[in-house]
Amino acid sequence: MAPRKRISKTEPSSPEHPSSSSKGNNNVTTTVAAAPIPTHRKPPLQTNDPPIAPPKWGLILKLSLFSIPYAYLLFYHYKIEPELQRSVIINAGMSVAGFLVTVKLIPVASKYVLKRNLFGFDINKKGTPQGNVKVPESLGIVVAIVYLVVAILFQYFNFTADSIWLVEYNAALACICFMTLLGFVDDVLDVPWRVKLVLPSIAALPLLMAYAGHTTIVIPKPLVPHVGMEVLDLGWIYKLYMGLLAVFCTNSINIHAGLNGLEVGQTVVIATAIVVHNIMQIGASSDPEYKQAHAFSIYLAQPLLATSLGLLSYNWYPSSVFVGDTFTYFAGMTMAVVGILGHFSETLLIFFLPQVLNFLMSLPQLFGFIPCPRHRLPRFDPQTGLLTGTKDGTLVNFFLRNLGRKSEKALCIYLLGFQLAFYNRL
Amino acid sequence: MAPRKRISKTEPSSPEHPSSSSKGNNNVTTTVAAAPIPTHRKPPLQTNDPPIAPPKWGLILKLSLFSIPYAYLLFYHYKIEAELQRSVIINAGMSVAGFLVTVKLIPVASKYVLKRNLFGFDINKKGTPQGNVKVPESLGIVVAIVYLVVAILFQYFNFTADSIWLVEYNAALACICFMTLLGFVDDVLDVPWRSRKLVLPSIAALPLLMAYAGHTTIVIPKPLVPHVEMEVLDLGWIYKLYMGLLAVFCTNSINIHAGLNGLEVGQTVVIATAIVVHNIMQIGASSDPEYKQAHAFSIYLAQPLLATSLGLLSYNWYPSSVFVGDTFTYFAGMTMAVVGILGHFSETLLIFFLPQVLNFLMSLPQLFGFIPCPRHRLPRFDPQTGLLTGTKDGTLVNFFLRNLGRKSEKALCIYLLGFQAIACCFCFLLRYFLAGWYK
Repeated sequence: MAPRKRISKTEPSSPEHPSSSSKGNNNVTTTVAAAPIPTHRKPPLQTNDPPIAPPKWGLILKLSLFSIPYAYLLFYHYKIEPELQRSVIINAGMSVAGFLVTVKLIPVASKYVLKRNLFGFDINKKGTPQGNVKVPESLGIVVAIVYLVVAILFQYFNFTADSIWLVEYNAALACICFMTLLGFVDDVLDVPWRVKLVLPSIAALPLLMAYAGHTTIVIPKPLVPHVGMEVLDLGWIYKLYMGLLAVFCTNSINIHAGLNGLEVGQTVVIATAIVVHNIMQIGASSDPEYKQAHAFSIYLAQPLLATSLGLLSYNWYPSSVFVGDTFTYFAGMTMAVVGILGHFSETLLIFFLPQVLNFLMSLPQLFGFIPCPRHRLPRFDPQTGLLTGTKDGTLVNFFLRNLGRKSEKALCIYLLGFQLAFYNRL
Repeated sequence: MAPRKRISKTEPSSPEHPSSSSKGNNNVTTTVAAAPIPTHRKPPLQTNDPPIAPPKWGLILKLSLFSIPYAYLLFYHYKIEAELQRSVIINAGMSVAGFLVTVKLIPVASKYVLKRNLFGFDINKKGTPQGNVKVPESLGIVVAIVYLVVAILFQYFNFTADSIWLVEYNAALACICFMTLLGFVDDVLDVPWRSRKLVLPSIAALPLLMAYAGHTTIVIPKPLVPHVEMEVLDLGWIYKLYMGLLAVFCTNSINIHAGLNGLEVGQTVVIATAIVVHNIMQIGASSDPEYKQAHAFSIYLAQPLLATSLGLLSYNWYPSSVFVGDTFTYFAGMTMAVVGILGHFSETLLIFFLPQVLNFLMSLPQLFGFIPCPRHRLPRFDPQTGLLTGTKDGTLVNFFLRNLGRKSEKALCIYLLGFQAIACCFCFLLRYFLAGWYK
């Protein structure tokens, strides 16, 4: 959750924005007719708000270079069955289409979102002219909807599906959709934070119900003599763990936030790691069920990567749009789902290490042992344009305290680089 | 869609409602912290808006009497397997819980919705003091969320499930959830283009179209068999197209048969009751296990719809304390389309929807622009008498008023719902008489 993004959503629209009042001329006219209006069209979307900045294609091109080593792994390095290869390619193609649609739709959605007073001011630019620009919020809704359409349609093209697969896939879609719904409701209605914690558990229910996999864990070898067995069936405790994983993934991205592009950026990095991990496991393994699990994960992670890149092209520094809780919930849930259904949730947690660290650092303030201010953001100096770390327990502030003052963009790159560095060590 | 419910959602909140500005004291303070705030709690939800009226328990009690003949059918009249009976009972129990949760949550949600300026003024009360009350909108979101939780949890208690069933069930949940999401986005962002109202339900229906594993054949009515020279016809992808169109129709037809307090939820309650009764009768009268499974499937999704809608009706019935929003009409329409498709009784469903079909046909000239279509096609309200007068618009509401004379809003709504109930009974009669002749 990026607090610096938001100001009271119920603030009345200022008089210089006729867009917000263009629909309410008098008490009688409502904006919605009883039936579609063929002859009296709704007035076109008049707005004096400037259109949002164009997407940052340069950034996207640079990031797309990563697809080259990925394609190498997929086609040459590993011998992967042609059927599976074909499904992955088709999914990748649909994901690219999803990326393009997302890039196209975000400016359109931004107009409607602004009209509805769903915007925020960029706190990390307060004091500069850009600090007064109304930035549209909750654009994660575009990403989520495009993602869901791609994921739903992909079922038609998966040639290696059986009915267990279909159950888990549809349960996964139901989870992600439900989480997006709850996230968007939260963005609009601004529910209390206690409710925020519970929402992911509710959204994870379809998955918990449909999970047909094993609930056993492998006991680490050194402990086997003490425990007396090699595998331990956790049963319902495993399902509890799954639910907690969903709560953790969503909320941890939410609190590791506050800089332009940080939330989407970390999602892109983790999703890339997931996809690479999947390909490597598929290539290195010979157990068909194991391969299926990782293929499953790829089919859900590639569209996440692509649509998030679409959002990043607008959200990267300086942000033209903000992502909202809708995005962090959606992305967190999707990654939890692929980790669970792909049976690599322990690896996923390692990918989430920065988020784990951030969460651990935050614990004293979350539990009230140390005073917790409304924001735990670094301090912005409009003269220099640099951020200074506060004493708050976040990774953002920790980096600033130890690396010195940084610009917002540089700091974000450092944090994302830190995320990536972990994976190289694996 | 009930137009009289809404006024510009982006209207600035008026100064006498400090609730809306209580969160925006200065530029720096935002309402949402970086992390949950243990020590500096968010200011409690201060609002000067009066709490919404209590639910209309009398109405609910009267309607609940219908459950007695239903229970009779379920337990005594038909011999239904114990397993199936148990699943239906458990589902009914969970639905009742869903009803209670809905009733409890709607006032809570109303405060948040009002705070966010999602409200409307009741046009059919314009000129009276009640016409100035801000009525919270889009409370369909509460119904949908409670419904989804009940439906998701029920999977755990269905003892007769196999994996085909689970695929269809999860696809159904994904559909209903997606439609709710799109409906709520529409309520909040107010997507304007007419095409969107057609496109959104088609997109939301995709999980179902993908997962539908049933037959795509239709049974040729017996009288036509000699002419067509076959008894069943496999439509293939055309059947899937039909399914998509059914979803589009069900959602939008409820949307345009609206405009009176309690009409949208009321029609949903009537049709859902008819669906559930139809399901029980088909289960009881049939011996084909697959056929029974299909109708059981429908019951498991329709009972919670009925119960949670009753929860909403207790606030939305005349005079409405809350409005339902496109969220509800999309959600309800999609749920009913889904049960009709997966239960394999979509033709029967269309007969239950007869008033909606008639309303749609009446509306066609205006929808296509042959006759001028005003922004609203609502009847005219006279604040002196409190009665509605029909206009020349092509809606069932106005048709009734033109032929039955001026009516109060409540009486008119009861007439229309009565008409809906008659259409459902007519369907049952039709099936009874044509059973041997038609199929």
